[in-house]
Amino acid sequence: MLNFILRRLAISSVLIFIISIISFLMIILAPGGPNPWGELNPKITPQVKEMFRKKFHLDRPIHEQYFLNMRDLFTGRLKSIKDERPVISRILERLPATLTLNLYAISISLIFGLLWGVWAARHAGTTADMLSSMGAFALIALPGFWVAYLILIGLVNFAGVPVLGTQSYGIEFPSFANLWLDRLWHVVLPGTILALGGIAVQSRYIRATVLEAMNEDYIRTARAKGLPEETVFYKHALRNAVRPLITGIGSLLPALIGGSLIIETIFAYPGMGRLGYEAVLERDYPTLVALNFVVAALILLGNLIADVLYAVVDPRVRLE
Amino acid sequence: MTTEAPIKATSAPTPATTPTKRVLRKFFANPVAIGGLVVILIFVLTALITGICALFGIYFPYDPNATNLAIKLNPPSAAHWLGTDNLGRDVFSRLLNGSYISLSVGFVAMAVSLLLGVVIGAVSGYYGGWIDNILMRIVDALLCFPSFFLILTAVALLGPDIRIIILVIGLLSWTGTARLVRAEFLTLRETEYVRAARALGQRTWPIIFRHILPNAFAPIFVTAVVGIPDAILIEAGLSFINLGVQPPQATWGNIITDGRSYLLDAWWLIVFPGLAIFLAALSFYLVGDALRAATTTRQQSK
Amino acid sequence: MIKFFVYGLPALFLALIVASFLNVVLLTTTKKNEFSIGMLGEPSTLNPIKAADSAAGQVTGSIFNGLLKYDENIEITTDLAESYVLTQTTTVFFENENTALTALLRLEASRSRWPGWQLSSVRLEGSALLIKLKQPGIDASQEIVGMFDDKVPSQVVRVETKEPPGVALEKIRASIGGGKIVRVWVEGANAFEVTVLGAEEDAKTKIAGFFPKELEAKITIFETLPFLAEPEVLFRLRQNVLWHDGEPFTSRDSAFTFRALMDESVASPRKPDFDTILFVETPSPFEFRVVYRRPYSPALSSWMMSILPAHLLEGKPQEWWVENFDRKPIGTGPFKFAEWKTNEFVRLDRNPIYFNGPGPWLDGIVYRILGDQLALRLAFETHQVDFWGVDPWAVSGFAKDKRFELFSMPGNSYSYIGWNLRRPPFDDERVRIALAHAINIPEMVKYILYGHGTQSIGVFTPQMWFFNPDVKPFMYDKDKARSLLAEAGWVPGPDGILVKDGKRFSFKLITNNGNEIRRDIATLVQDNLRQIGIEVKIEMYEWAVFLRNFINKGEFDAMVLGWALGPDYDQYQIWHSSQANPEQLNVVSYKNPKVDRLLEQIRQEYQRTKIISMAGEMQETIYRQQPYLFLYVPESTSVVWKDSFRIRRPVDGGWVDTPIEMTKAGWSYYSDWFYRPEFASKLPPLKEPSTP
Repeated sequence: MLNFILRRLAISSVLIFIISIISFLMIILAPGGPNPWGELNPKITPQVKEMFRKKFHLDRPIHEQYFLNMRDLFTGRLKSIKDERPVISRILERLPATLTLNLYAISISLIFGLLWGVWAARHAGTTADMLSSMGAFALIALPGFWVAYLILIGLVNFAGVPVLGTQSYGIEFPSFANLWLDRLWHVVLPGTILALGGIAVQSRYIRATVLEAMNEDYIRTARAKGLPEETVFYKHALRNAVRPLITGIGSLLPALIGGSLIIETIFAYPGMGRLGYEAVLERDYPTLVALNFVVAALILLGNLIADVLYAVVDPRVRLE
Repeated sequence: MTTEAPIKATSAPTPATTPTKRVLRKFFANPVAIGGLVVILIFVLTALITGICALFGIYFPYDPNATNLAIKLNPPSAAHWLGTDNLGRDVFSRLLNGSYISLSVGFVAMAVSLLLGVVIGAVSGYYGGWIDNILMRIVDALLCFPSFFLILTAVALLGPDIRIIILVIGLLSWTGTARLVRAEFLTLRETEYVRAARALGQRTWPIIFRHILPNAFAPIFVTAVVGIPDAILIEAGLSFINLGVQPPQATWGNIITDGRSYLLDAWWLIVFPGLAIFLAALSFYLVGDALRAATTTRQQSK
Repeated sequence: MIKFFVYGLPALFLALIVASFLNVVLLTTTKKNEFSIGMLGEPSTLNPIKAADSAAGQVTGSIFNGLLKYDENIEITTDLAESYVLTQTTTVFFENENTALTALLRLEASRSRWPGWQLSSVRLEGSALLIKLKQPGIDASQEIVGMFDDKVPSQVVRVETKEPPGVALEKIRASIGGGKIVRVWVEGANAFEVTVLGAEEDAKTKIAGFFPKELEAKITIFETLPFLAEPEVLFRLRQNVLWHDGEPFTSRDSAFTFRALMDESVASPRKPDFDTILFVETPSPFEFRVVYRRPYSPALSSWMMSILPAHLLEGKPQEWWVENFDRKPIGTGPFKFAEWKTNEFVRLDRNPIYFNGPGPWLDGIVYRILGDQLALRLAFETHQVDFWGVDPWAVSGFAKDKRFELFSMPGNSYSYIGWNLRRPPFDDERVRIALAHAINIPEMVKYILYGHGTQSIGVFTPQMWFFNPDVKPFMYDKDKARSLLAEAGWVPGPDGILVKDGKRFSFKLITNNGNEIRRDIATLVQDNLRQIGIEVKIEMYEWAVFLRNFINKGEFDAMVLGWALGPDYDQYQIWHSSQANPEQLNVVSYKNPKVDRLLEQIRQEYQRTKIISMAGEMQETIYRQQPYLFLYVPESTSVVWKDSFRIRRPVDGGWVDTPIEMTKAGWSYYSDWFYRPEFASKLPPLKEPSTP
């Protein structure tokens, strides 16, 4: 096991660097360049542009730019082109919002997916189960931004409630409870839409695993022993639901940072997805370099953890 | 969201000549499957007909690109069943015209990703060892790629061409298939008669084609069917960020994007194209699931 | 136990979700005493001399003051300055003291003409005559100087060198002789201008000869001046102004702001506005004097620039600024900085020690950062921001709804199609005029702007005092278009598209994606032109790509864009022939010597009537030549929830209480004096009856 982990870490480190080189090349070779002054601005002279280029190494050859950016990244000096602030600050300040949103989305995927999957497994084969299956697929088939817009039309026209951002403005909160509930609301809206597909997928997965477990020999043995169906179901079969839940948690790490940029854009939610998207549009190379690196590292780490957890939970799995 | 198929040990599969009749019978016994298939057929036929007619310049009920500013942003009416957009174009015609693009993007992109996924998954699962390791790490690496830049660069460098978009979607989606195929191959190669065939000295590729693939065929086919709506949804998402097929050509996705600003004034620009995407994707998923149910025997599910 | 996980947790979450919804439904009725403004995009910094984006401009406008500002009629008025006086010193050089004396006597003899020239006094200094005028400008000086003989002109020599200016100057003094150096202006670390007496050809070689060859000093004769005309402004500053941290505002702050603007390490994008200043000085803590090298009338409005606190920033390096000031600034304005949550909002609190009266009445302003128009509208309709810049198609909907109030005025922007004048057939004026006749602009206004706009008749917009309303617009006339094109040699080809010399009239019209209005314009133009046999292909690009690959390089046939301009008659950078290089703003490459001259002259003109006539002529000439197809000036409409705010402001020693009123400068001009009716009890009582 330890061997496996060490080997994976070594390979992953090499991989991360290769990834960073390739993604840097793609970013910098993409047409267009940074233009932090917004629209065509009569006040910006070529000299100002020249000073700006020098400041961000944009006048150096590509490989030098790569090394300079990487060096700055590891010494913590990497500064964003957009506002000259350290890239680390920009990423860190979006972290709480992103974490909340994604933790919420993953939590309700797991929690409601479990509920639904268990219910479906208990009522497998009935018409209700068939309808619920269709319902699950319906949730997966829904385009996220479409649902978001429909909900927005409804909420704004009929309820007049705030829907954007992370908090409501212009309102005096009578107590802390009200404040926190308000924050929760602003996470619930985008988070639930994000999680719709996840809930459905989790429920299918759990239903399938539980049903599979129900066909195992040891379940039949338990029934034969005269144990009530309920105990059989909850104490024995449901143990197998642990595996899909672990997969869910294993994908937690990268999902925590990734996030959906479409939902974030629609709800004006300040998450990492939007950070990356805006950085692309603005060609903010330093931010992009840092983001790619962090995301790549987290994904590789998340995969490693998931694979290890698999092996821990299911002794049949052989790690190579 | 791709779900990982856990590696499971199975007993010997039924021989490669699974009676297709049995599968088909099971499939058509399922009313949901029939319903889904009907909807798919409706969509595909409409798309084909509209597409072919478009080649000859025939459009119905209206020319999807004909602007008529006097009737802009009209709600659904007898003359315009799904209303008009901000340039007076008939939404229904644009939906029909767009269906051809959206569906063909879905099909072709799925084909690309399927090809890549099957080949890579097969090689990885069959040979195992360090080849498998490297290929799987490449899969991991690809998932780390800022896929957005891939799209942006490709689209910007080579033009917002529909072929580029298809290629790019295909290149982003093959990893799930590869993992699935690899899992299948990993288990299937341990079966008795594959081992026997190898012991007898049979070469690799005949083994793959004659013994393993046919048994893996069912899950691969299901993946293919399910891959189509995935691709359609990705294209819709791309259009949302203005990186999809460019105007004035309509796709389901970009009708929604173009109509976004009028959200609170012209709901029909958002509701109907989204409904089309939803129904098409749903029917593919339902058919795919029915296929999976029909092709898995009780033994195999053990 | 497991049952809890399966059933209990979902129930708990569901309860929380429902609670949060109910909470938000019930609470949206209690208001805060704040003004909430929605912004598209985030400020890059809150340091006014470093920022060039409009979001930063909006926020810093409430935090800082300039020496001057615009009043409700978009005319220049005082802000931190109490008053200002414009004068000019015209200096004429003579060969020797005698000729100078002769000139002086001649001038004294013409005293009767002095009032006409606005001449206030004359002084003899060595062999130079210093003439003080009460008004800056060239004309009067030219007349006066015309009376003299034996004048000695001067040359402005520009030197670019790697040596520090002090050392370089010493060498120059040595080479020409210190007595001949009239003045020096240091532009930066490596460039300065020396004004040298005499128009000798060899001044250049003399100076050049004194630099060692290795130093590669670049020496050019910038201009030859018959006399020096140096306008100056003397500002008297208010004495009761305090910075947000309590320190008093003095002339030291304005002088420091100027130095910071010119400092290369600050890299201020506003530096070019202050390039014509020779020097500034502070004769007393509340007097600020600025002397210019030559007449440059736009310079006055440049003093609306926000003033920075010297006591905080002087002597500190840029890293200190970025960390301690740029994101939490200190100014003198009605609101002071409170909090900036990146990508969410910037919050300002009221400044209780604001110099301009007991206000402001609001507790604070919140600038919400949102991504697009739809988000702004959603926020407005849910009371998250207090107004919305209405999209044209939504205006009628809001107008019918009694809950809202609308304010409209012509915007200060115009949309256009830029023809690349370097490429045929756009180099042919007849073709451009034909195109102007071929586009149905009234229909465009009717359908894209839903009637909320007017056809543009040139480079200025109707709100400006120098706008020329008499320019006759090109009317939509397909036949005229066709005949003009035929005249230029374009005839219908086999497929209906016009041809000339075997070439089809087909071109690419590009614009940036993400902007529906520009896309709609392109579509309409494509349709209009198809009807007269011109094929247009539309291509849309992402903004960064659009700018870098096409606009900045001049690589396009035609493009759809717009200009949003300040109230500035100086359009040198957009229309002068010297500004047509890559990365500059004369993107279409328009070159007209007459317009060049007008652009140069208007910069030196201070008299209002003359400015109006020059601007008018410029507007007419450019419009007639159609380097752009001038499309329209959109009307900008804002919607507010009715009675959400009222104004209480000081007028003539008393108070006036009114609902929000429209001014030329916008509906929110008096936002410093806004108050929410729910909080009216907190206001000081009116001393006079209020006017509804």
